Amino acid sequence: MSIQYEVEQLADSYGVADSFPKDFGYGEEEADIEDSPAPSDSKPRILLMGLRRSGKSSIQKVVFHKMSPNETLFLESTNKIYKDDISSSSFVNFQIWDFPGQVDFFDPTFDYEMIFRGTGALIFVIDAQDDYVEALGRLHLTVSRAYRVNPEINFEVFIHKVDGLSDDHKIETQRDIHQRANDDLADASLEKLHLSFYLTSIYDHSIFEAFSKVVQKLIPQLPTLENLLNIFISNSGIEKAFLFDVVSKIYIATDSSPVDMQSYELCCDMIDVVIDVSCIYGLREDGSGSAYDKESMAIIKLNNTTVLYLKEVTKFLALVCILREESFERKGLIDYNFHCFRKAIHEVFEVGVSTPRPVGPQAVGSPCNKAVALNGTPRSTV
Amino acid sequence: MNALVALCHFCELHGPRTLFCTEAVHPPSPDLSSQAGVPVPGDRDRDGDREGEGLTMRANSSATQTGEMCEGCRSLPVSHPGFVSIDDETGIRFLSHQHPRQSQLFSVVRQACVRSLSCEVCPGREGPIFFGDEQHGFVFSHTFFIKDSLARGFQRWYSIVMVAMDRIYLINSWPFLLRHLKLTIQSLQSTALKVFDSEQGVFPQRAMRMNSVFSPAVLPHQRNGNAARSLTSLTQHPNLWASLHSSFSWLLKASGSRLTEKLLEGAPTEDTLVLIERQTEQEEEMSCWEGAEGGGSKHHQTESSLSHDFLCDHLNDLPGPKIRSLRHLRQVLGVADFRQLAWHVLMGNQVIWRGADPGLIQSAFTELKSLLPVGCVRSVPYSPQYEEAYKCNFLGLSPDVPIPAHVSSSEFSVLVDVTSEKSCQVSAAGDDDICTMYQFSLRSANTQPTDRGPSLLNKLEVALSNENLSVDVVSHCLLCLKEEWMNKVKVLFKFSKVDGRGREDTQKVLALLGATGPGEEDNVRLLKYWMTGLSKTYKSHLMTAVRGGERSPSQ
Repeated sequence: MSIQYEVEQLADSYGVADSFPKDFGYGEEEADIEDSPAPSDSKPRILLMGLRRSGKSSIQKVVFHKMSPNETLFLESTNKIYKDDISSSSFVNFQIWDFPGQVDFFDPTFDYEMIFRGTGALIFVIDAQDDYVEALGRLHLTVSRAYRVNPEINFEVFIHKVDGLSDDHKIETQRDIHQRANDDLADASLEKLHLSFYLTSIYDHSIFEAFSKVVQKLIPQLPTLENLLNIFISNSGIEKAFLFDVVSKIYIATDSSPVDMQSYELCCDMIDVVIDVSCIYGLREDGSGSAYDKESMAIIKLNNTTVLYLKEVTKFLALVCILREESFERKGLIDYNFHCFRKAIHEVFEVGVSTPRPVGPQAVGSPCNKAVALNGTPRSTV
Repeated sequence: MNALVALCHFCELHGPRTLFCTEAVHPPSPDLSSQAGVPVPGDRDRDGDREGEGLTMRANSSATQTGEMCEGCRSLPVSHPGFVSIDDETGIRFLSHQHPRQSQLFSVVRQACVRSLSCEVCPGREGPIFFGDEQHGFVFSHTFFIKDSLARGFQRWYSIVMVAMDRIYLINSWPFLLRHLKLTIQSLQSTALKVFDSEQGVFPQRAMRMNSVFSPAVLPHQRNGNAARSLTSLTQHPNLWASLHSSFSWLLKASGSRLTEKLLEGAPTEDTLVLIERQTEQEEEMSCWEGAEGGGSKHHQTESSLSHDFLCDHLNDLPGPKIRSLRHLRQVLGVADFRQLAWHVLMGNQVIWRGADPGLIQSAFTELKSLLPVGCVRSVPYSPQYEEAYKCNFLGLSPDVPIPAHVSSSEFSVLVDVTSEKSCQVSAAGDDDICTMYQFSLRSANTQPTDRGPSLLNKLEVALSNENLSVDVVSHCLLCLKEEWMNKVKVLFKFSKVDGRGREDTQKVLALLGATGPGEEDNVRLLKYWMTGLSKTYKSHLMTAVRGGERSPSQ
C-alpha cells in the first residue's frame, strides 16, 4: 500500500521537548516526583505488578516513553517502585507505578494498604512465554489482598509477550489462565472480584489497545465522549473515529462501532507520521515551538479510497478519523461538525477544570446534563 | 563505635539481599555491654522486644534465603568459617560472614538492605544517602553499580550500608565514611569494568540479544538462566571477600577511634561554684595552719564539720526524731507557722531554734537551708551561747541559753522554742509523732505581713500542699524555683551593682523580671539578700567582663 500524504500546517509545530520530555535514562525525573509528593499522590494510580521479568517496565517505557520495543531488552531490572507521572504531557492524568517483581510488598514492613488505597487500576502482567503457574499464584495473592483493601480497583490481567505464540496457542493460553484464575477466586469465595484479560505484546499495537481500555475505564466522562463521537461520525459520513492521547497513542474514546485492530494501527501510524514530520520540519530555526499545537492537522489519502483525517482537539488530544473518499468531498461539513465537536469536548473538560479536578468517578454528572448542540441539532445526552 | 557494615545486592532473581556483613564484637565487660547503642552481643533482653517483627523478617528471609540462594546472592558458602580480625588494643573482634551472627541484628540489617536498594532513592541513583529511625537503627547507605555483561541493563545494583543506633555519630562520620567507601567502591567498579570490557570484546552481548529475540530457537525464555553471577566472578578478584573484610573492619575501627563521646554537664550552678570556693578557702587555711604548728588538728575537725554542714549528711548519726522534708516540717509546725518561718529564712533573717534535741534542730535546718542558695547559708548547728546575726543565719541553741534583748525585740530574727511534752519522754517513739513529743512555739518581733510574698514561697507552698506531688518532685520544683530566682539575682546584680543604674531603671528591670506585683517588697528583699550569696568567681567575672566590654567599643 503506497501512502500519499499531505501534511497541512506544519508552520509552527513540533517540539520534542514539549511532548516527550522524558529521556530514557530515568535519573532526574524520579527526584522531581519524590520532591512533590503531595500533588502527585492525590492522583489515582495505575499499578503495574507481576513476577520479575514479565515485562512491566517494558510496557511502561514503550507506552508512555516511546521506547522502541527492541530497546527494552537492555532495561535493567527494576529495583524499586518507579512512580511515573505523565500528566504534564499527557491527557492520562494518572500516576503509573512500576513495581519490582522480586520484592514482596505484602511483607509487613511495607504499607501495602497505602499502596492500594489510592489505586484506580491494578495491571497484573503475566509472561505467556513462561510457565505461568507461579504467576497465577502471585496474581491470586495480589488481587485478593488488594481487593480487601480497596474493592474499587479495576483488576486487569495482561497476558503478555504473546508475540511469540501462534494464534491457537494465544487463545488456548488466555482460556487456560482465565479459567484457573477465576477458579482460584471462586475457591476463595471472591466471585465479586472481576478480572479482565488482555493478550498483549510490545511488538504490535495490542499493548496500546489494552492500555487504552484500562485507561478508558478510569475516565468518568467516557459515556459523554462516546456519545459525542457517535453523533459526530453519523452526521459527517465518517466510518471510524478515535479520540487519541497523542503522547501515549492510547485512545481514550471511540464511537460505538467495533474497533478492528488494523484501523487502530493505521491511526497510530498516522499520529507517528504527523508528529515525526512536523518534528523535523515544523520547529522554528532555534528549535523552539511544539510538534503538536492548535494548528496541527493532517489529511492522508490512501490509494484504496480511504482518507485519514487528524485534527487537534485539546492540548493532549487529537481526533483521528477514517472515512471514504466520497464522504470527504463534503469537507466543509466535516470541518464544521468538527468545530462543533471540538467545542463540545472543551465544554466537557471545562467542567472538570472549573470544579475540582476530575479525579475519580464523581465528576461524571455535570457534563452529561449539558445539552450539547452539535451540528445544529440540540439533543439531550445519555 | 557500635556499628555494622554490610554489602547488599539487588539480585535479579531474589530482590534485595545481604551479601556480606562485618560486625564488631566487644569483649565481655560490664561497662561496654551496658553502653547504649547497637545491641551488644549477649544483650539478650533486646531479643524480646524485637521478636515480633524480627520473626516475620526472619521467617520470610530464612525460608527464601536458605532454600533458594543463587550465585549472585551468596558470598561465603555456609561451610566457610568467616573472617575474624582482633584489635589487640581494645580486644574488639571484627567478624565477617554472609549474615550477622546475632538474630536480632539480622532483621535490622535486612531492613537496611531492603530500604537501601528498593526504597530510599539517592538522586542520581549512585551515591550516599542517610535514613533510619530509633527502632531499626540509622543507616548510611551508598548505592553503586557493578558492570555485568550478562545482567539486564548490563549492570547490577549494590549498596554498602553502615548501620548504627547513634544518629549523631553516624551523621558526623558522613564525610569520613563517604571518602573511604568511595575508595572501596571505585576499586570494585574498576576491576569489574575491566572484566566487562574483556567479556564484551569476546562476545558482544548487545548484538547477541538483539538477534536472539527474533530467532524463535531461544524460546522459551530461560527465566532462571545464568542470571546471577557472583561478585567474585564479576571482578575476577580471588580474595575479594577477605579484602572487603579488612576494609570494612578498618572502617569500623577507624570510625570508632575517630570520634569519642564526652558527656558535657552544662555550666556549673552558683551553688557548686560557692562550694568549690569554700573548699579552696578551707584548703588554703588548712595549709597555713599546718605550716604554723601542730595545733592544726583541732581546726581540722571544725573544718570537716563545716563542710559536713553543707553536705548535711552527718546528722543522721544523731539519735532521735528528725524532720524528713519540707512537707514534713510544714505538717509539724502547722501551715501558718511554716509560712512565717520560711518567710524569715528567705528574707535573710536570723532563725534561732532552741531545744534539747540537737538532731531534730539540725534536721530542721537541713530542710530550711534547702530554701536558700548555698552562698547565703551560714549556720551554727548547736551552740552553748548566742551568736550574732552576722555570724550565722541559722542558730541552734540549748534550751537554757538566754536570748539578748536586742535580738528578741528585733524584727530581723525569729525564735523557735522546742519544748518536750512531759508525758512522752520516750525517744524511741519514732518519727511520726514529733508533734506529740514536742511543742513548737514561734516568736518574732516582726510586724510585716508574711502572707504576700515572695513569689517563690507562694509557688513552693502550692507545690507543698499538693499531695499528688512526691517529696522528690517538690524538691526538684524548689531547685527550679531557686535557679529561676538566682538568674534574676544575677540580672539585678549586673544591672544595679555592676552598671550602677538608677532607681527608676532598676524598677523597670524588676518589672521585667516579674518581681513586681503583690509581693513586690518581699521579692526585692529576697533578691537583695540572695545577691550576697553569689559566688566570688561570678562577681569578679562579671566585673572584669563588663569592664572589658566597656573598654573595647571605645577603642
